Amino acid sequence: MTSVMDIINGAASLIVGMGVTIKAFFSPVVTVQYPRQTINITPRFRGHTKLVADDEKPERTKCIVCGMCERNCPSKSIKRVSGEKMEGEKKKTATEYILNFTTCSQCGICVETCPVDALAFSADYNLAGFKREDFYFDLVKEFEKRKTNR
Amino acid sequence: MNELNNIMSIIGKETVRAIIGLIGVLVLVVINALILTWAERKVAGHMQRRIAAKEVGPFGLIQPIADSLKLLGKELITPANVERSLFYLAPTLIFIPVLVSFVVIPFDSYLQVKDMNVGILVILAFSSLSVLSILIAGWGSNNKYSLIGAIRSVAQNIAYEIPLLLSLLPVIIIAHSLSLKDIVEAQNGLWFVVYQPFAFLIFFIASVAETNRTPFDLPEAESELVAGFHTEYTGMRFALFFLAEYTNIFIVSAIAATFFLGGYQGPILPGIVWFFIKTYFLVFVILWMRWTFPRVRFDQLLNFSWKVLIPTSLVNLIITAGILKL
Amino acid sequence: MVKKTLEDIKNTLQDVDASEISYAERGYHLAIEAQKGSLVSVVEFFADKGFYLADLCCVDYVEYLELVYLFNNFKELCRAKVTLKVEPDKPVAPTISHIYTMAHWYEREIHEFFGVYFEGHQKLTYLFLHNGIDCYPLRKNRVPVTDDDKKLLDSFKPEEEEDAFFINLGPQHPSTHGVLRVVLKMDGEYILSAEPVLGYLHRMHEKMAENRSYQQFLPNPARMDYPGALLFNLAHVAAVEKLCGIEVPERAQYIRTITCELNRISSHLLWIGAFLGDLGGLTPFLYAFDDRENILDILESATGSRLTYCYFRFGGLYNDIDDNFIDMTKKFIKRMHERLGMYEKLITKNVIFINRVRGIGILEQSEVPKYGCSGPIIRSTGMPFDIRKVEPYAAYDKIDFEIPTGKTGDNMDRYMVRMKEMEISLNIVEKAIEKLPSGPFNAEKVPKKLKPPKGDVYHAVESTRGETGVYIVSDESDKPYRMRWRVPSFSNLMTFPALAQRTLLADAIATMGSFDLVIPEIDR
Repeated sequence: MTSVMDIINGAASLIVGMGVTIKAFFSPVVTVQYPRQTINITPRFRGHTKLVADDEKPERTKCIVCGMCERNCPSKSIKRVSGEKMEGEKKKTATEYILNFTTCSQCGICVETCPVDALAFSADYNLAGFKREDFYFDLVKEFEKRKTNR
Repeated sequence: MNELNNIMSIIGKETVRAIIGLIGVLVLVVINALILTWAERKVAGHMQRRIAAKEVGPFGLIQPIADSLKLLGKELITPANVERSLFYLAPTLIFIPVLVSFVVIPFDSYLQVKDMNVGILVILAFSSLSVLSILIAGWGSNNKYSLIGAIRSVAQNIAYEIPLLLSLLPVIIIAHSLSLKDIVEAQNGLWFVVYQPFAFLIFFIASVAETNRTPFDLPEAESELVAGFHTEYTGMRFALFFLAEYTNIFIVSAIAATFFLGGYQGPILPGIVWFFIKTYFLVFVILWMRWTFPRVRFDQLLNFSWKVLIPTSLVNLIITAGILKL
Repeated sequence: MVKKTLEDIKNTLQDVDASEISYAERGYHLAIEAQKGSLVSVVEFFADKGFYLADLCCVDYVEYLELVYLFNNFKELCRAKVTLKVEPDKPVAPTISHIYTMAHWYEREIHEFFGVYFEGHQKLTYLFLHNGIDCYPLRKNRVPVTDDDKKLLDSFKPEEEEDAFFINLGPQHPSTHGVLRVVLKMDGEYILSAEPVLGYLHRMHEKMAENRSYQQFLPNPARMDYPGALLFNLAHVAAVEKLCGIEVPERAQYIRTITCELNRISSHLLWIGAFLGDLGGLTPFLYAFDDRENILDILESATGSRLTYCYFRFGGLYNDIDDNFIDMTKKFIKRMHERLGMYEKLITKNVIFINRVRGIGILEQSEVPKYGCSGPIIRSTGMPFDIRKVEPYAAYDKIDFEIPTGKTGDNMDRYMVRMKEMEISLNIVEKAIEKLPSGPFNAEKVPKKLKPPKGDVYHAVESTRGETGVYIVSDESDKPYRMRWRVPSFSNLMTFPALAQRTLLADAIATMGSFDLVIPEIDR
């Protein structure tokens, strides 16, 4: 007669399980309807890197074109960092900083190794493009754009 | 008007009735499939606490139409080594028994394509045919996964046809008729589910197995057999299998409603509304089960039928017959 | 245990050179140098004493190749390193695959990467590199593959047989979770034999490690085991810290514990969803992802990424956690306890589920050392072996927790062990947050360019799937001379052919699902 009890218990367990799903059926949804709704990005979110403005002269970046980030990048994502010495400046000013974002893994090693803390993570997350080259960012240009927008 | 009467007299009233019926059935099949694809997505979505289709039309209601247009536009791929004739035949064949079953279902006291005095036999006889097309599809695909799925399907259908029939017999005994309309009329007072709760449960379980739905969806168990018997099918051919599956769900629900839940009988609302309410409630339960349970194993499935369902339904039948004789 | 084993070795095997090693520095207790003649007897000695083969790898020292056999005991921690030197020109070594089944794969791997020929091995064919190779990839000098070896490598052909047919389960199959291929020889729905074919996701992280500095390798471990990325990162970071002797501040240790346990829960949740998906129930998958999303939010607020974290640094962390993190974690713990009750109602007690998993895929406890599998799989057989307990790292020695074990070692036990583990992980997180000390989160005086002293080190952590070990050989440069990853799924998968034999296809898939395989980790 145990088998009869087994069947009854089994059926009861199935009904309990169906209770769980019907409860979920009438509960509010938990998903975010993405393009219409967005969620807040945490302050520590790691987007692509960005150049940080100098504390004293906010019109230029902190970057001194030392090349530490370029040498330390594990995936060789930082293609080219170049700059020149501007008049009246002690150090070099970056004129070009090409980041190949397609291979970047946001590990943060460049941010850490930068001797002058010129790099930080941005909060850009919805990036899309049609070709690889769309993700070869020039961080200096991007910095200029941010400056004018501000 | 006169001309119409003339034409009617030439080709006969029955033929006209049959043609109108056939058109009606086809429309119903398509609309039902559209509703069920939408309902399945919505039920699945909300049970998993997401919204499901919502972009195309209000509440995503136009989504099934968009889906079917997409499927129509897809390339019909015929893999290299298939049995061509069988491969082409299977999706068409799966549709015939499905259509025939509609003929005898009474949607309302006046709305029935044809009231046959052997109505339920027609449905049972033709529904066994659908397994043939699954076997043909599995065999013709020349794919090992398809073949395993087809073989599973045959074993499963044979095993579950018996409890299906045995659970309907007590109702037939009580109603003294094989005609579906008579059976509904016999439930004017109390529904047969009150007299026959076990028969109803057995019928419902067996019919879920007959329609290859989770937890009995072994012929198309996607985690084991990729897609089972329809692995190699694409585009509209695949859609026909899907259409047949959804129509089958509707038919078994409709039969269950007719036999046990009083069919079109009900207060206030017109009969056809009651019929659809009952049918779609059962459809909802089938969907609900699908999105709750894991799949049973093959031997467990057969054991359950041969060791539990068939003996129980036999005992139920004998008891019913005995009580009625007394 | 260590002393006794050493004595035993000296008594039973006269001509081997065995010595005790500083465990704190090297990560193993005994170093044994075997000769070609004595290797098999040494290995047999360890097999008799119930040791399991934790790892078998090879290091190319140019003048000679060194095979490294790492043994450990489930009952009491005693790591032993057995080395065997073979000449680089025509390296030949005796096989130990007849003693340890797992060595079948390890030896195939070494044969493929180093060209070491194992005498007596049944089937020295490709394991990873199916496209063929021109030279052995992990040798320091360019050593071309000879034509004889090429023939030997390229011999994977399933044997045809009457009344049986083959099914390719994968590489693109819904239930292999990634690109694992299993060649099944079937008799109807019954499996006659199963043979996993690896290498579809092989990226050679071990070679990558040799070409970049220790720091530059930081993002890589997360790509090996994506659901449990932090735990793999910890294995790497902690191994390097052991090698360089870096002291990690208390606070960092606690934060490592908290984040790792959260990661473990999220990995287990992913597994529940996938496992139930294998069994045909698709809804738990979404529920598990709902919970997992909460963990990802928490970890994102600390680490900045959601899946492939790169958070741990040598001597500490990338950044500190804040109050927001702790609040979110506390809220999650409360929520998760309720959700575990829901899972019990929906899954654990479901009669269909129970019938699908109980008594299926039984792994005998006595079989375990032969395979060297680890993690929830061996705990389900009733062996309370957990690296967190026997070889504590991070802050696990300061937190009290129990180790869940099963009885029979079937799928149900594996499921129950993992469910219980999630609950225990929640408790660990709770206790660790209570005890969380304040202070610095980074060690001072960690040089930017790490140049560890000469030597080797083995360090293991308990990742979500079992013992994840890193064996590093340093030559005083800033790049590792050799970095070997001992990954748990690799040895866990080896038990699959044995468990799948003579079972139904559906059961084999349930068994594979219960293993929680992560293919990138197997293939590395």
